[in-house]
Amino acid sequence: MKNLVVVIVFLLTSTVSFSQGVFDKFEDNDEVVSIIVNKKMFEMMSKVKVNAKDKEMQQYMSLLKKLDNLKVFTTSNTKYGADMKATVNSYLKSNPLEELMRVKGDGKNVKIYVKSNANENTVRELLMFIEGANMKDANTVVLSLTGNFSLDEISMLTEKMSLPGGDDLKKASKK
Amino acid sequence: MKKIIVVFACVLILFCCDNKPSLQKYFIENMESSKFIAVDLDPSIIKTDKMPLSQTERAALASFEKMNILAFKTDSTNSTGYDQEIKEVKAILKDDSYQQLMKAGSGNNGAAIYFVGDDDEHIKEFVILAGKKENGFTVVRVLGNDMNPTHIINMLNLLQKSDVDLDQLKPLQQLMK
Repeated sequence: MKNLVVVIVFLLTSTVSFSQGVFDKFEDNDEVVSIIVNKKMFEMMSKVKVNAKDKEMQQYMSLLKKLDNLKVFTTSNTKYGADMKATVNSYLKSNPLEELMRVKGDGKNVKIYVKSNANENTVRELLMFIEGANMKDANTVVLSLTGNFSLDEISMLTEKMSLPGGDDLKKASKK
Repeated sequence: MKKIIVVFACVLILFCCDNKPSLQKYFIENMESSKFIAVDLDPSIIKTDKMPLSQTERAALASFEKMNILAFKTDSTNSTGYDQEIKEVKAILKDDSYQQLMKAGSGNNGAAIYFVGDDDEHIKEFVILAGKKENGFTVVRVLGNDMNPTHIINMLNLLQKSDVDLDQLKPLQQLMK
């Protein structure tokens, strides 16, 4: 009996960790370029003492405190691109996120989803999916950002880190 | 019967811990190998004697103890060596004591940064792993005493404006060839 309980608990915890990292399977793939920044990194960066007079830097630091994880996966491989699309779709089914915006044009297709907090101004999770044949480095991009932040702040960050889809996000935050 | 199981489990756990591969062991095992280049740096690499140091800079320097670098050079005739060795390093870094800060790259190419410490204000060690299949990979251990994020930034600033004793880095030149 006890064994059964242990097994069930084990299974449960493993599925929980799985649902958090559905995209992690792309991490060690030769065809997929990934960028992962963990919560610890954001925490650590936000603890650096900066010049109090530098307003932009201060703003940047306060944003870092609000972020948990950043994951970006890009690929030019069509097979893994399709896999990413399927993963995004199945993820959206199990974790209902709101569609924030959808842009189609220049041969690319951008979709941005968010999980909002009770008060509408902040976001818990942002998921961006971009596909298009004529993009510079990759055909498919998945960007996932978790934390507790507002969209205005994020467009500033994507600009600073020159992440893909920054322009589209900027448009989204102005709405 | 139950007791035996408990004892057995304890022994097993002890046994596992003892045999746990550590980065330290990996460094020692491979230092002498012809495929690897090992370099140890100490804070004297930054020539500070002629510079007036601010208090924060001094604190940053004091928190930094040494740096161990181990570099693997890809053998042009044997490309499997790279995957094998980097896998071993990655397996070591999967241990809970290494907390990943960030990583970028694809498959076995790319870079990752880890740290060891109780929390992010008291860091004992930084580990940087960077590699490219065609060239090889490098593992850098930055060992210190209570390093904190502000110290790191101050150190980097200090590095930029001071002279660096390049003699200590000479062995690494082989990698560039």
